[in-house]
Order: sequence, then C-alpha cells, then structure tokens
Amino acid sequence: MPTIADKLAGLWPEIVMLLGAVACLAAGLSASARTRRLTPWIAGGTMALAWIFALWTGIDADHPLGLGGVVTYVKCLVLVLGLVLLLVCAGVPEGLKQTAAAEGARFDPGLSVRGEFYFFFLLSITGVMLTAGATDLVWLFLALELTSLPTYVMIAMTRDRTVAHESAVKYFFLGALSAAMFLYGFALIYGATGFTEFGPIRDAVAVSSETGLSDPSPLMLMGIVLSVLGLCFKVAAVPMHVYTADVYQGAATPVTAFLAVVPKVAGFAALIMVLHLLGLDRLPEPVLYLLGAIGVLTMTVGNVLAFVQTNLKRVMAYSSVANSGYMMLGLMAGLGVPGNALGNGPAAVLFFLLAYGFGSIGAFAVIAALAAQRSPDGADHTDATGVADDLEYDDLAGLWWRSPVLGGVMLVSMLTLVGMPPLSGFMGKFFLIGGVLNAGFYGLVIVLVINSAISAGYYLRIAMLTFFGESSSAPAVILPEGRRGPRVVGAVIAGIAGLLIGGLPGNSVVRNAREAFEPVPAPASAEPETVQAAADESTASAPAVARSQAAGLADAVPTP
Amino acid sequence: MFGAVGVLLLMAVSFGVGNIVLTHLLGPSRKGEVKGTVYESGMNPIGSARRRFNVRFYIVAMTFLLFDVEIVFFYPWAATFTKLGGPEGDGLAGMFLVRMLFFLLTSVIAFTYAWRKGVFRYD
Amino acid sequence: MLLALSSPMLSHYLLTGAVLFVLGLVGFISRRNMIQMFLCTEMMFQGVVVTLVAFSAFHGNVTGQTFVIFVLTIAAAEAALALGLVVLLFRHRRTLDASAWSALNG
Repeated sequence: MPTIADKLAGLWPEIVMLLGAVACLAAGLSASARTRRLTPWIAGGTMALAWIFALWTGIDADHPLGLGGVVTYVKCLVLVLGLVLLLVCAGVPEGLKQTAAAEGARFDPGLSVRGEFYFFFLLSITGVMLTAGATDLVWLFLALELTSLPTYVMIAMTRDRTVAHESAVKYFFLGALSAAMFLYGFALIYGATGFTEFGPIRDAVAVSSETGLSDPSPLMLMGIVLSVLGLCFKVAAVPMHVYTADVYQGAATPVTAFLAVVPKVAGFAALIMVLHLLGLDRLPEPVLYLLGAIGVLTMTVGNVLAFVQTNLKRVMAYSSVANSGYMMLGLMAGLGVPGNALGNGPAAVLFFLLAYGFGSIGAFAVIAALAAQRSPDGADHTDATGVADDLEYDDLAGLWWRSPVLGGVMLVSMLTLVGMPPLSGFMGKFFLIGGVLNAGFYGLVIVLVINSAISAGYYLRIAMLTFFGESSSAPAVILPEGRRGPRVVGAVIAGIAGLLIGGLPGNSVVRNAREAFEPVPAPASAEPETVQAAADESTASAPAVARSQAAGLADAVPTP
Repeated sequence: MFGAVGVLLLMAVSFGVGNIVLTHLLGPSRKGEVKGTVYESGMNPIGSARRRFNVRFYIVAMTFLLFDVEIVFFYPWAATFTKLGGPEGDGLAGMFLVRMLFFLLTSVIAFTYAWRKGVFRYD
Repeated sequence: MLLALSSPMLSHYLLTGAVLFVLGLVGFISRRNMIQMFLCTEMMFQGVVVTLVAFSAFHGNVTGQTFVIFVLTIAAAEAALALGLVVLLFRHRRTLDASAWSALNG
C-alpha cells in the first residue's frame, strides 16, 4: 500500500505546474504593471522547472501497467511541445483590445484575461501530464477533463468574435458528449471488474481469461469500446471529428496550434493506458477491428476533406484529423520484439506525436505570424487583435522571397508532415508502417501509403506556393514586430526541431520511445528485502482479490 | 457471447429512439399562442423573456454552483471523520484533517480570485 | 453468460442507467436548442452515475460511489462553463438555436 508521500513523490512535476499556474493567475491580476508583464515568463519558467522535475523524479518502476516509461516520456514530450507553444501563444492575451482597455490608466481586474490565459494554458498541460500518470480510472477521467475544460475557455476568450464563441460552444458540447461516452465506458470497465485501479483491472482481465469465461468479458469489451470512441474526440478521430475544422478555424491561430497538439497527446496517452488494460500485445479481435476501422476512416476522411479545402486553417485541421488516423493504426500494431524499435507500434505513436507536434506547431505559427490583406466577402475578418488569419492558399504565394525564415519553416513543416526522408515525419511514418507490417496488417499499410500520397497533394501545394507561387491579389503580410510576439521564434524552433529529430538526435528519441514500453529494472534500494517483501505483498494481494471476485462472478453466472 | 450486453443495449436504444418516434407519431401537435408562451410555473408571464437580465445573476449562479459542489466532498469526510480519531482509526484523523484543509485552501484560492475579479461587488 | 444481468436488481438499475444515457444521446443529436442539448449531456452523465452506483452495490465496494462524487463535480464545472459560454454567445447572437449558426457550418 503506497502512502500518500510515495504517491506525491511521482507528482512533483504536476505540483510545480499547479503552483506555477496559480502564480500566473496572481501575477496577471497584480496591481503592478511590471508584474503583469512577467506572467508569460512565469509560465515558461514553470514549464522548464517541471521538465527538470520530470527528469529528476525519473521512471516509476512500480507502474501498475508497467508503463512507467511512457508516463515520463509523455510528460517530457508535452512540456517540450508546451514550451514551443508558449512562444507561439505568448502575446495573444496581450494583444486583445480587452486587455488594452483593462490596462488603462487604472487597472481593471474584471476585464483583464492575461492571467487566466496562462493559467488555463498551464492547467491544460498539467492535465496531459496527469493523464499520462494516471493509475486509476477516476484519476484518468479527472485528468482528461482537466485537459479539455481550459481549452474551451481559451478559445472563447482569446478572440472577440462571434465565430470564436461559436466554436468554443461547439467544442464544448462535443467535448461534454465525448466525456459522457468515455465515462460510461469507464463505468462498464468498473462493472466488469469491480475495480477502478489499473493494476487490479488488468489482473481481473487476466483471471477472467484464465477461468475461461471469455477473453475478456463482453462488459469489459463494451467498456473499452465506449472509452475508445469517447477518446476519439480528444484525438479528433472519425466518429468525433466533426468539430475539428470549424473549431480550428474559429479559434485564434496560436490557440489552434495548442488545440491541434495538446489534447491529441492527452488522447493518445489515455488510449495507450486504456488499451493496455487488455494488453497492447493481445488486443481482442473486436477492438482491433474497431481501431482499424477508426484509423482507416479517419485518415481517409481527413485527407480527402483537407484536399478540397482552401482555407489554410481548415486544411491543417483536416491534416490533424488524418494524422490521428495514422497513429490509430500504430496502436493496434502491438509491442513487437523487445529491444527493437521497428515493430513496436505504440512506441512509433509516441515518436510520431513529437514529429506531428513540431510540424503542426511550425505551420500554425507561420500562419499566426501572417495577416491576410483582402477580405473576400467584404466582412471584417480581423479579430480583437487586429489580425485577419483566414488565410487562403494564395496568401502564401512567394512567402520565401519575402521572409526566408517563415517560408523555410513552412517548407520544413510541410515536408515533415508529408514524411520526406531526412525529416522527423519520415521516421515517424517509417516506424508506424514497420509496426503495422510487423503485426501483419498488410492491407492497412497499403491504405496508409495511399493516404500519404493524397496528403502530399495539399502539403506539397503549400510548400510549392511558398517558393513559386504568384498571387493574383495581395498576399498576406507579415505582422509587425510588436503585434506578433515571439511567434517567429516559436516557428523557427519548431522547424529546427522537426529537422533535427529526423536526424541523429531522433535516434535517441526513438530509443526512449521504445524503452518506454519495456520493463524498468527496479532501482537499487537501501533496504532491498523490505521493498521486496512489500512488493510481494502488494502483488500477491491484488490478484488474490481479483481472483476471488472473478470466482464470485463465475458462480453467479448460470451456465448455458 | 454478447447476449446480456446486447439485450441491455437493444432495450436502451429502442427505448430512446422509440420514444422520439412515438411522440412524433402519436403526440398531438398543438401550436398556438398559449402553447408558445413562456412557462412561469403556472403564472401568467409578464413581459418578454428576451428582456436582458443583469449579467450579475449569471455570475452569482455560476459561483454558487461551484462552491455548492464542495459540500459534496465535505459531507462524506464529515461523516467518517469521527471514526478516524478512535483506536481503530490508526490516528488517521490528523492526516485527513490536513487533506481537507488543503482542499479548503484550493477553494480559498478560487474565492480570492473571484473577489479580485470583482464578482462580489454589487454596486 | 448473463454476466451483467445475473442479479435481477442489478439489471434493472443498469437498464435505467443505459436508458438515461441513450435518451440523452438521442436528445443531444435531435435537439437544436443549446440549453436542451446541455441538459441532454447532463442526462447522459446521470445515466453513468446510476450505472456506477448499481455496480458499486453489486461489487460491494464504495469505489463506484466515490467515482460518482467526482463525476458530479465535473458535471457542475461543465454546467458553470456551459452557462458562461451560452450567455456569452447569446449576448452576441440573441438566439440559442444551434442551427442558426451562420459563421461556421460543416
């Protein structure tokens, strides 16, 4: 029985994040203008500190599913992406007209949203970290909600346009629907096993297949299916993808970058945990069919719809849908052979998340640093920050010649997302395909390759336009220094990272992703005997309870 | 193998969809001035429901809702707390008191925030 | 085989929960008024709550009931958020009809 102190010891990064979030809230509402300007710096410092703590606390060898490595990997992953996202998002609340009004001669705390923005930013990332670290269905549910709830507010408050409010409401309603759905799934899992803790659930599933009831029980399977369907919302996969384009278009572009990355990481972390209750290596057939169908539909729908869009944010939204489809296939590929990254599907997903994250952030950061000049239907497309970000393809025409930095980042991001060989996206797809091939799903590999070809259609169109495009109307202008904040820096970092992790540094990331799924050698302890005894006791008692539970169920079941 | 769950699912779905279909088929479709008026617990409504409420009402309602739910956590804690102090409680009372105080602290932070934002200013 | 429905009482509760959940789901899809849509999601949550409590009684542990408290908390947080967002939108658009959204479609 771990004490509260043991439990908290693994949660230092999250505690740091929560304290930092409250500090941001306080600083954003401070009476002194200087303290208020410090808020984004506090947010950045908090994430850097949390990253150090995440590395320092290390891998939890006693993770009930043996996924302690995944927990640490996802925490570091989301903090790295979060730091880049902060560069892209910093300046969003500062640029609002509302903030300008609040920061008048006398500071009006009722109007200011600066503290809240960074507060919610950090809370959402904390939610992802907690999702990865969850060892209990209650905890997982709360963590997933902590990831989502702040994002609804972030969409609504960073743009004073009806379209943003509408997309916030739309996102919220579908989010509530999906939450109810995976919650029902969790309730059924609890009903099938009698536990909400991951360890006992897993033991109960193992026992139920031993006693020959069914493998696993239909109730459990139903629970997993509903959980997966509900989690599809978080990763923007097919049955729950309908919000994507509208919400991504309606939100302010930096917030869109956040939406495209952070909930997706949470969703895939949660999917890995939930599926590993059954064992990622031995998923039952119905779950495999479900994942395969979701994957194929998601990538096809995403790519086809992205192909016909003209608004860049909608193109990128459907590209985000399509990428979720690729990763879904990775989840069904199984863990492969220990020690070999090629063939480990979930590890490929973890790596792909990083590659996709940098590619997407780069693209959205470039869009966020541009402002459209024309207004096609005469409507005012500028938001409260004075930015018209409803960019079309033509707006990128010849971007390279006007700003080599932005053009270069766009090029790298697009090539990463296509999966061009020297870039990180290539490695991601390479390992994904390797995993799916290893599992023997040849048909799915063909679908994946065809889809990559379709996606090349629109990605390369954007890449070509930045070089050779000639615009008939006036192309988008680059925002002046004061209005764009550190977005360009964020874009450059995302681009460089997308380049680098395709090369040698990528190998170590792949190795980390692979090792995340391998059992961790127990750390050397000062008192090995007592630790061993405690471990024996805990491992012995949990299956015993599960066993008696399952036996009780078996007695209650009339044999047909 | 999916018998039981299937029956459950089938019954639930048929009940849900069936009700919608049946109301459409069987229900009388009355549309009139009285039917369209606002329901005010049997009173005749005065004025239009489109009249704008002061936004304070919503803010107070939201604040109430959030602080109200905290009682849900206090109640089970209060119900079991006396048992924790006794000999069979292993002296857990202190620890649980600290936990609840920490929980209270989070509420205090929320309260302070609401105060700073001027939620409780009624002038 | 009748794993879930072996106890007569349990099956009744589970059916109630499932019916609430599906009614909420059907209502969510068929209604266009935002308040009604929100109430439908609340109904889905309550269906889950009934299921959790039923399973909690069946398994003879309180984990399910603990879960319920947290579900209620999240439901309340979502209610507050929904109220805020809907009021915000209503002040801009003067209607709560989701099909009247012009700026975003599809």
